[in-house]
Amino acid sequence: MRGTSILSIYFRIVGIVLAGFNTSLSAQNTVITADSITAQELDAVVVSATRTQRQMSSLPMPTQFIPQKEIEAINAIRLTDLLEEQTGLITVADFGGGQGVQMQGLDSQYTLVMIDGVPLIGRSAGTLDLSRVTVGNIKQIEIVRGASSSLYGNEALGGVINIITENPRPGKKTRFDYRGGSFNTHDLRAQYTDNNLVDEWSIFVNRLSSDGYDLLETDDLRTVEPYTNYTAQVKYKGDLNQWTQMQVSGRYYHQNQDYTASSTLAGASDINEFNTTLNLSRTPLEHWTQEIEWYTTRYMASESLNNPDGSAFSQSDFDQWFSRPELRLKRVSDSSGTWIGGLGLTYEQLKRTDFFGTPEFYAPYAYLQYDNQITEKLNLVAGARYDLHSAYASQFSPKLAMRYVLTDKISLKTSLGYGFKTPDFRQLYFDFTNSTAGYTVLGYNAVSVRLPELQASGAILNVSVPLENFEDPLRPERSLALNFGIDFKFAPQVKWNVNLFRNDIKDLIDTRVIAQKTNGQNVFSYYNVNRVFTQGLETDFTARINPSLKFSMGYQYLIAKDKDAQKAFNNGEVFGRLSPSSPVFRLKANDYLGLVNRSRHTANAKVFFDLPRWDMDGSVRGTYRSAFGLFDTNGNSYLDKYDDLVSPFAIFDFSLNKALGKKFRIGAGIDNFLNYTDPGRLTNLPGRLIYASLTFKTK
Amino acid sequence: MKKQVLLTLGMIGIFTITSCSKEDSNPPEDNQNDSILVSNLHAPQETDYTQNPPAASGAFVKFDFSGGAITTSDTDWDIAFRGTSIIVNGGSSSGIVDAPERTGNAGAYIVDGIFDEISSINTGAFAQDGPGGLAIPTGSGNGWYNYDPNLLAIYPIPGKVIVIRTADNKFAKVEILSYYKDAPAVINEQIALNDLRYYTFNYVYQDDAAASGF
Repeated sequence: MRGTSILSIYFRIVGIVLAGFNTSLSAQNTVITADSITAQELDAVVVSATRTQRQMSSLPMPTQFIPQKEIEAINAIRLTDLLEEQTGLITVADFGGGQGVQMQGLDSQYTLVMIDGVPLIGRSAGTLDLSRVTVGNIKQIEIVRGASSSLYGNEALGGVINIITENPRPGKKTRFDYRGGSFNTHDLRAQYTDNNLVDEWSIFVNRLSSDGYDLLETDDLRTVEPYTNYTAQVKYKGDLNQWTQMQVSGRYYHQNQDYTASSTLAGASDINEFNTTLNLSRTPLEHWTQEIEWYTTRYMASESLNNPDGSAFSQSDFDQWFSRPELRLKRVSDSSGTWIGGLGLTYEQLKRTDFFGTPEFYAPYAYLQYDNQITEKLNLVAGARYDLHSAYASQFSPKLAMRYVLTDKISLKTSLGYGFKTPDFRQLYFDFTNSTAGYTVLGYNAVSVRLPELQASGAILNVSVPLENFEDPLRPERSLALNFGIDFKFAPQVKWNVNLFRNDIKDLIDTRVIAQKTNGQNVFSYYNVNRVFTQGLETDFTARINPSLKFSMGYQYLIAKDKDAQKAFNNGEVFGRLSPSSPVFRLKANDYLGLVNRSRHTANAKVFFDLPRWDMDGSVRGTYRSAFGLFDTNGNSYLDKYDDLVSPFAIFDFSLNKALGKKFRIGAGIDNFLNYTDPGRLTNLPGRLIYASLTFKTK
Repeated sequence: MKKQVLLTLGMIGIFTITSCSKEDSNPPEDNQNDSILVSNLHAPQETDYTQNPPAASGAFVKFDFSGGAITTSDTDWDIAFRGTSIIVNGGSSSGIVDAPERTGNAGAYIVDGIFDEISSINTGAFAQDGPGGLAIPTGSGNGWYNYDPNLLAIYPIPGKVIVIRTADNKFAKVEILSYYKDAPAVINEQIALNDLRYYTFNYVYQDDAAASGF
């Protein structure tokens, strides 16, 4: 009910705001620039790094972008298809079947994922499932590495991924895409855009269905259950008057998936997600832009299981609201630099099964950033953001970035910034007792009420962490990120960049046992403990050998370790044993492998080619991951080199497309050609995928 | 005699060579210990899932170090096993149901180290069972095991040595090697599900109550 009232308030305020602006539409022409692909690649303009339009090659922070051309060349259908091929980005399977992305060695919950500059929500278990995002209507994907909380606040520790949806080109255009392939997977998309130079409309719908797959035939469960999902997006942009532009967009996502828990328990899981954004921007004076943006999103997930006789066994619901009005002011001038400032409020609410109450967060914030070309050769971006929070200590996140042009072929860049992530609702308000094993998990804020209740009911044997330890609030996880890079430009189309990074994270939140129960199980809760660092090198080499052949290579070297674990190894406090029949031995400092699911070496190589004579284009791509561990397998709770690791592997993908006249395009491809799988461990690798695609578009 | 010495030296030589030629990932072999191995001590437990939270119950399996075997005696036992819980015959009830009455003066503490190298006994460190918890704490990472939620498996933590004062004030040190039947080197899902609650452990018994070490 609360949600409805928020929606009505939202629309009421939208109405007031709209009335405040002069609503007479004017027929002012907007300048349309030709969106040629080569121009795109030569001079890519990105918005995510500074929240202003900047030429990517001139930015002082490590920034990358994936153009639509590449999305089409590899026939990608989901965001994960694209991200897993980028240097240093690893898609990681979540136990819920979703897939997140690891960036600079930081887990997926530490990367902010946005669509058109506003965040996606729905991290029911920490990971945001990126396979839920269709790439059908995407203009480009922008990736900013390194902590970016100075602009974006919460979650932007490892970096930012911003998905920029397409803006209509002049005229009325219709487009249909279909891709069908292995596992009975069908992806159908339809898009209509209308840009009459006064206003712009676009409508996009997508349906994706798949039988899923089963990597382990021996058990009763499928690795990924059959699913069907729908995405619909509507976007409108128009001028309210000669100074004011309005943009409204709405997105809806729905997924229905089978859910089987055992041979006797089966049911379904449902996801419904809504996003709406209203953006008004006006230029009251020369150099000045004013923007009001109001974003509201709701993510609902429910899972139900039924007994064989049809009676309900369990039902769990997740319903999250997120709403954020923001006011932005921008001053752009060639002489005195670009200033951007923002003022906003984030409201969040979550209703969830097994939760202690219905928590709400209020978090007002303000940020300011200054970006200037200090000298001809030195660009400086300095910014800071201050976040207040109804449940945590306030956060101050400064950032400084500089780029220096050494010669016309070499430039140096460096950035230093803070990032933070506030504890999520689960870490604070979870109140869950496992019905089969009998253990209990309590959110940090639920402990002081629920633990005494459990004690009173006689369920607690003894308390190992006294309640006094829960008086101070759980602290946000914080990071300090340093990036230093060199860009080489050997020729206009031959580029090489190297970036060294280091992220120091403190107050990482982990679980610990706080009490023992009379049933022999434990009560767990969350606490700030770990100090972790990730450091390494990422490098990309790109060469366009001729207009129809582009070659690229990327590599990342990564070390990601827990500082306390490192200390335990250094002190000789960690032991190992090869098997129950062999003796225990003391592990050495260099036996420690670090955090789970981190490969020391990852690499990729890609060739994109055009065959103009046959109207064809295509690609050959390979990605490599060196060995990594997913969990401790020898009982000492640390990942060491005697653990059972996932062996190094490589994945190769091919695609080939052909244009048939100006309206049709057909394509085919094979993903994971070598059919690499690791059943039971890498659940997001289904094996070889063969597909064919068809596109129809009006000119 | 000389021949024997030569043979021994030769054996050591071969052993050293094979050790050296082994890959870096193989730890040094240790073949010296006078410990006694107990295999497949079955410690079943019943769990009533109809209750929320589920309740564990069932008789504990008692072990006596001086006899070196399991026992049904009500008094002549030192430690007792049920599921992952290990109780000592000393102190008072911790509240666990079906636990035998403690009649002796047993105690225990856990020390980190290599089993053979643990030679001293810290008589001030012994704890006994009581309402505040067990002398050998339960729970993943607290006592002798880690729980792998992925495989639902129990792994004894390498380097955890349980030093015990027996019910009659003698001593023992114990190293738990496996929680699964026949101590398999690799635990898979089938083993984790079906072959659990079979203890394999090493112990050294010190029958001198005045001793300060093993």
